[in-house]
Amino acid sequence: MHVMLVQSLVFGILVGALYGLAAVGLSLVFGVTKLLNVAHGELLMFGGYATFWIFTLYGVDPFLALPVTMIFLILIGVIVYGLLFARMVKLSEETKIQNTLLVGFGLSLILQNLALRLWTADDRGVTTAYSGWAFTLLGVRFPIVRVASLGIALAALGALHLFLQKTYTGKAIRATAEDWEAASLMGIDIHRIYLLAFVLGTAMAGIAGALVSVGYSIEPNMGLEWTLIALIVMVLGGLGSIMGTFVGGIVLGVTQALTSCFIGGTYREVVGLLIFLLVLIFRPQGLFGAKER
Amino acid sequence: MRARLMTMMVIVLLVSTLVTNCTPTPTQAPTPTKEAAAPTEEAAPTEAPPPPAPEFIEVGASIPLTGKYGALGAMVKPGYEYAVQDINDKGGVYVKEYDAQIPIRLTIYDDESDPTKAVSKLETLYSEQNVVAYLGGAASDMHAATAAIAEKNKVPYLGIAFALYAIHQQGYQYLFSPFPKSPAQARDVFEILNAEIPEGERPTKVAIFQETTDWGIELAGLWKENAAQYGYEVVVHEQYAPRSEDFSDMILKAKQAGAEMLLAVPNPPDGIAMFKQMSELGWTPKFSLIIRAPENITWGETMGTVGDYVTIFPGWHHGEKFPGVEELNAKYQAEFGRPADLLTGPAYACVQILADAIERAGTLDRDAIRDAIAATDMTTVVGPVTFNADGTGNVLNPLIQWQNGQQELVWPKDHATADLLYPAPPFEER
Amino acid sequence: MQKKGSQVSKKIAISITIVLILIATAALPLVVKKDSTINLAILVFLYVTLSSSWNILGGYAGQTNLGHAAFFGLGALTTRLLWLSGRPFILSLLAGACVAVGFALLIGIPAFKLRGVYFSIGTLALAQILYITVGNVFPMITSLPTQALITYQLVPRYYLALVLALLTIGTAYLLVNSRLGLGMMAVREEEDAAESLGVSALQHKLLALSASAFFAGLAGGAFAYYHVGYYPQFPFTPVWTFDAVMIAYIGGTGTIVGPIIGGIFYVVVKELLALKLVELHLIVFGVLFILAVLFLPGGLVEVWSKIQTAFARRARGQEAQAALPRDTGI
Repeated sequence: MHVMLVQSLVFGILVGALYGLAAVGLSLVFGVTKLLNVAHGELLMFGGYATFWIFTLYGVDPFLALPVTMIFLILIGVIVYGLLFARMVKLSEETKIQNTLLVGFGLSLILQNLALRLWTADDRGVTTAYSGWAFTLLGVRFPIVRVASLGIALAALGALHLFLQKTYTGKAIRATAEDWEAASLMGIDIHRIYLLAFVLGTAMAGIAGALVSVGYSIEPNMGLEWTLIALIVMVLGGLGSIMGTFVGGIVLGVTQALTSCFIGGTYREVVGLLIFLLVLIFRPQGLFGAKER
Repeated sequence: MRARLMTMMVIVLLVSTLVTNCTPTPTQAPTPTKEAAAPTEEAAPTEAPPPPAPEFIEVGASIPLTGKYGALGAMVKPGYEYAVQDINDKGGVYVKEYDAQIPIRLTIYDDESDPTKAVSKLETLYSEQNVVAYLGGAASDMHAATAAIAEKNKVPYLGIAFALYAIHQQGYQYLFSPFPKSPAQARDVFEILNAEIPEGERPTKVAIFQETTDWGIELAGLWKENAAQYGYEVVVHEQYAPRSEDFSDMILKAKQAGAEMLLAVPNPPDGIAMFKQMSELGWTPKFSLIIRAPENITWGETMGTVGDYVTIFPGWHHGEKFPGVEELNAKYQAEFGRPADLLTGPAYACVQILADAIERAGTLDRDAIRDAIAATDMTTVVGPVTFNADGTGNVLNPLIQWQNGQQELVWPKDHATADLLYPAPPFEER
Repeated sequence: MQKKGSQVSKKIAISITIVLILIATAALPLVVKKDSTINLAILVFLYVTLSSSWNILGGYAGQTNLGHAAFFGLGALTTRLLWLSGRPFILSLLAGACVAVGFALLIGIPAFKLRGVYFSIGTLALAQILYITVGNVFPMITSLPTQALITYQLVPRYYLALVLALLTIGTAYLLVNSRLGLGMMAVREEEDAAESLGVSALQHKLLALSASAFFAGLAGGAFAYYHVGYYPQFPFTPVWTFDAVMIAYIGGTGTIVGPIIGGIFYVVVKELLALKLVELHLIVFGVLFILAVLFLPGGLVEVWSKIQTAFARRARGQEAQAALPRDTGI
């Protein structure tokens, strides 16, 4: 029994890492620009398709293709931000959230149906030669694709964390997140920072999408589900905390796995959400969020 | 301020032109599939001239072309269109009342995989196009809504791509489905296994991964019932809510219980996740019947060798040796670069059945057409079709198996394109 | 003096317009016999009801509730179960609305401990919990029995939806023009300031939530009465929430007419596009939607106020340019 429990835990962590990664991009964009991009799941989907096509057409390994996927998503991010979201930056906070929700909603409709027209509604995924491989440790199996995904997720988060903490630009981003007016007075180019944060967010969505296409499957209609997961994980971890978001993802994944183990698969998502609400009741600012003023 | 107002006006103008530009565009779908040449040879004038024939026989369909069932709708749509095209190429359907051949005009709408939208579309087809029959979309929740509208409007309704039996137990009079239903799917799997595999080698320990949907519940119940009868034992019966990311727990339970056979009806994302995780956790059932997820043509390339040996009851296969299948395949090949997909044949058959019924009814009266459909006894691209009183069809229920990334027909034998491969080798040895 | 006169005549004009619209909507089924038109009108009313009910809490009290589908779904579920088991429909409908309100009160106090995005996503999670649970507990399709289908008429559904829409709009109007409504808006603008002036934020929010849930529950009940066959889980899908929110936003939040204009735009334009463009319609709709947002950041109601301003300016010449009224009230 306890091998099964440990195995479930391992899978829970591996799934949770993906949740976390999917949410980090959203959290970063929201934290810095206060734009709530509900088309995040669709951007993730485009990351998945990019990986899929690079793999299918050129046979490039999905993990090696990650930089290309990221560049592709950054390009999309630049276009989307420049055309749509840049116009919302100056709006007051309330109108800003409203209008970004609206634009995000319209954008998700466009992206979904664009994907449908371009690549049909069929489910696709990347299966490499080593896809089913797993190594066994004390009777517990570790699928290498998922372990590699966890590694990628950690590396991406670590790099993001270092970038935000150590570099000048990173510090500028954090300063802007805290108080854009002050940051702007200090001579920081707010527009550049916003654009940078936005494309960093889409690039993270791209990585998450790539990993989804390897571990699961992609289809034009998948966006909403991932947007919902990302929103919940973002809030669970607490706004403005990169590592918090990641931990939030793991917490959600592990809760679901334990629920499957002890209660059954039917309510795994429900219990995950209940735990989320319980956390909010006791910590209204999420696990690692700063207390609201 | 003034500048903003100007841009505003410009935009309003732009948007309105966009709308008006969109509006009258004669797109392919709602317009007649083929403007068949008017029947040239008029019947010889007899004593009482028949009433003037309508220009078209109006038929309407609401299909999920976008949204979550888009992949299913994409297989159904060409089936309807090809059949209408083929009939119209021959001048249309002969209707005795008018003593004329009348072409069919098929109007197709997209319902976004949303039952409420589908209801709107059927009402529009009824009020605007005045259709004599409906063709259904795909998936049971869509059919449940649209078949009820057909009943309300008293319009005969032919629908495929749903195996849920419960819909047929409502006492609907206008719903017909030339498609295998759950009872057949639950029985045939054991019949086929017992016929194909000698005793002692059969995968008698069964695991059921049941989705908590009505179809999942219905099939799981029927499978359990039948298993005992045919000498099988259900050792694991686990439930999950659709759209799950993690199946490791139930896979481990099946592995521990030594299950040799897997029965499930997952939607495609769940089916893909399930099999990926089965391979990672090292549990290979010797035989697996997975309805729905592997029906997508992309299952093979998505899953690689992990997807092989999986079997399906999709309702039809392009390898069936019935008249018209070859022509259908050729047409499909020309447009899509592969033989017809699994749902395309049954969709094609719906139109064949309808045309046959209209001809026998000799009129465009909906009730007469309904009665004629009920009395159907013909051979279509899915083989011989007759209907039971509850609207379910008596049709072939072929078993398909994925082999080397291809869908092969393995049962019944006289149509088979390949032998059933059993047992499935462990994932890591493929 | 002159200004007062013009205001009175404006009021008269508005009243006449409202009466005309009322007569037109009431007479529609008598004039138009097409089921498709009546069906579309039912959907418009349903969405207007749902969106207006969302607007009470989301627009006026400033609490962006992303779990609205839960109230709609509970209303639909309760009404359908009771009605199909033979209870009188009106009682079933009220029961549905009451269940929705009961749920609202149950979750209200803990939910309002959360602010901003935390509140929004918290309510979203709540609705998702109900969505999955209902799917697990009631997996069977609920279809109207054949006898009910034979006698099924769209016209009573039409009037029900119309009455509900009017009731919701009317209540919202009365509410926001009352002391309570002013309190709600004070809470929206500055919660702490409102508290310090003796306005209980929690009480006002709870009131707004209950009213919002009540009408959403009624809308759900109407849906249960209208729809021939669906999964009980279906009214709980988050899409109902998003539709309601999008309609309110695109129309103009915190206004009475916003959800009405938004509902018409959202339902009718989408349906027309769907009929003309078939599978391409969602892309075009998405583009239209974004254009509308980009150029009318205050919602479609702005078209009206902009036209008004333009006329006013032309009438009054340049002198009034200094003090342009920013009228987004109604």
